[in-house]
Amino acid sequence: MEREYAIVGAGLAGFTSYATLRHAGVAAAEIAVFGDDPDPAASWRPRALAIRQRRMRSESDGHCYPRSFPGLAPREAVRRRSLTPLALSAWDRYRPTVDEFLDHVHALRASCRWDESFRGVRIGRITATRGGFLLDGHGPFRHVLLALGHPGLELPAELAADPRVVHAYAPHDYADDIEIVGAGMAAATEWLNALEAGASVTSVRRREPARRPLNVARPLFSKRGLASFHAASRMRRCELLLGYGMPSYPPGRAWDDPIDRAMSEGRFRVTTQLDGAPQVICATGFQRGFTHDALLRRLVADHDLETELRWVVLDRDGSVAALSDDTRTLALTGIAAQWAYPAADTLVGMKYLARRFLRRTSRCRSR
Amino acid sequence: MSFTLTGRLQTRLAAAVLPFVVAALLAPAVGEWWPLELAGCMIGVGLVLDVLLYDRVLPYQPGWAALPLGLLELAATMLVARALSVGAPPLAALAFFVAAWIVAQALVHAALPLLRLTYVDDGGELGWGGAVVTALAPAALLAVAGVAWSMQPPTYRLATGVHQGPLVIESAQRLVGEPGAIVEGGIVIAADDVVVRDVLVRGGEYGITVDDVEAVLLDRITVEGAELDGIHVRRSAVTIRDCEIRSLPGAYVQGIDISFSFERTPSLVEGCRINGGLEGIVIHFSRVMVRENRVSQTELRAITMTEMSMGSVEENDVAGARGVGIFCGDYSHCEIDDNSVAGVRPDRTSDDATRQGVAIQSHFWATAELGDNTVADSPGGIAAFTGGTIERE
Repeated sequence: MEREYAIVGAGLAGFTSYATLRHAGVAAAEIAVFGDDPDPAASWRPRALAIRQRRMRSESDGHCYPRSFPGLAPREAVRRRSLTPLALSAWDRYRPTVDEFLDHVHALRASCRWDESFRGVRIGRITATRGGFLLDGHGPFRHVLLALGHPGLELPAELAADPRVVHAYAPHDYADDIEIVGAGMAAATEWLNALEAGASVTSVRRREPARRPLNVARPLFSKRGLASFHAASRMRRCELLLGYGMPSYPPGRAWDDPIDRAMSEGRFRVTTQLDGAPQVICATGFQRGFTHDALLRRLVADHDLETELRWVVLDRDGSVAALSDDTRTLALTGIAAQWAYPAADTLVGMKYLARRFLRRTSRCRSR
Repeated sequence: MSFTLTGRLQTRLAAAVLPFVVAALLAPAVGEWWPLELAGCMIGVGLVLDVLLYDRVLPYQPGWAALPLGLLELAATMLVARALSVGAPPLAALAFFVAAWIVAQALVHAALPLLRLTYVDDGGELGWGGAVVTALAPAALLAVAGVAWSMQPPTYRLATGVHQGPLVIESAQRLVGEPGAIVEGGIVIAADDVVVRDVLVRGGEYGITVDDVEAVLLDRITVEGAELDGIHVRRSAVTIRDCEIRSLPGAYVQGIDISFSFERTPSLVEGCRINGGLEGIVIHFSRVMVRENRVSQTELRAITMTEMSMGSVEENDVAGARGVGIFCGDYSHCEIDDNSVAGVRPDRTSDDATRQGVAIQSHFWATAELGDNTVADSPGGIAAFTGGTIERE
């Protein structure tokens, strides 16, 4: 056995899982992390920059520390000698800035010695062997966590070749007249960005967005809500997951006031069809489903894994039942683990799945 | 945070450990049971609210909710403590509750998430730790009950038959008579925390004397043939329940006399039957609740509350008294409500207008607050004399 643990994917999900393993006492030398870039925020940062995101949507638990406490709010309270972050946290209104979050990732990266475990290798195939897994030519590893992230940006097929089109998560400026496709958090952020830049905005959407603070209801972030989700039939679980994927953004005047003002000035309107604006921003999120990810697609095909619609069927702890037993574990985290945890692409979800992975592998660690 | 029901209960019990230990240490230090009783009320109220209310209406509980829920629990705990007569000083009780609440908040928001990685994920469930506190809770309850039981005063059985008195009780105890147990010559209670139950006391200058003590319960006592007072209480706090005072022979005999006890905890006389004597129940400079008694055939007054006493006279049945039925006198303050007073006879031996069959009387700057009393066949009716006032609700 080369090493006990391998994490495939070096983004925030992989990083959070790594920090959790390290917190539990797993040595850096016992973990191999495979990815393209040693910076865990390398994928996330340009997207946040592209949509000019200033604050995190996640609340007090939206950090990468293994423990829930102390999170960013109490640390900021101590640093600033102010109770305001704690009060905001108590009211579910604490949202750190993107810069504060990135500083936290940077500091944690150093303290948990992430770089010692990182290997700049992209894994293309996973092969189950006796008591572990081979990752291309690497390994075998007893416990493997796939933290693959989103497969890619989603663009409507009819717009893919249109030179006017830019994805919201790709670097861009704003023309004077813009059509923004989509109605989720990224779209809402882009409405405000474009309006602030002086543009006239047309929101192109097929359905009205829900207004809710988080992607999914808060009970679904812990056992209380998850129990009924896990107890649902496969069909029902698919329905629920499709529902959670509907566009939404938080309620509040910070979102509504600029749009109301712009509507009264004739600079914001809503339609269902594109209307020939010189710039089209697609805030249409990411490609969805395991079939868009080459590694997952191959894993499912090679090992004939169970799937349902666009999801790989997982145990409650995110592990793949067919490939996990008392001697080895293959588990998923991040967006690909929605079957186990609907908000798996949030920091809270990544931590939840990391802790479950740790709990499972702690039971069968050989060293 | 979204608690599961199990998580709520385990967290509640974990948060109760420290306050419970503090209460267990505090109780012997102050020589009182109230810290443990208060802790019990607090924990009990919390568990009941967890099961019946919070789990149903709070699928998600934001941090700020701790404040209004804490106030709700404080109010409920104080109501329960009051209903159960927990003798906690209000400020001390408040301080104890607030300290326990702060400990609970620190535990839920900081200590438990620090100690247990999956605390929030698991909806507040504590794994094996939760199983331990859940198992310890009844054990702690049993331990406290055991200690409480072991610290109870001894119980003595008074055998059937006649025992020559006077019987002097000088230590905390329960004295329980077997059927037919009789003490001749009276009982003297000179110790706190005494219960005398199911005993017939015959003769003696005073049937039962209670002097300068607290927490005395006289339960189902019968006194007959006492020469001065059936039950004679001085500077004490007593509860007299379901007694019978009878066969009072002398012209100056009183049924129950509670005097000079104003500084003590209020006393209670309830459910007694008193027949004959000069006065049935008489209170001097004391705080007493007199309720649900039947007093009949007295020669001076049936129920007297006088000399700056305070208290209530409620739901009593007064019949056949001579002169005055219920008397509130000498700067006393009496709440007189829902009594039945009938057949109060004029005192033919006296020209005093205050004794001409007055059912309820306020006398000499006393204040009688009257509720819904029934007066019948009493020619003096309800009257005030010499500066006394009557206020009707």
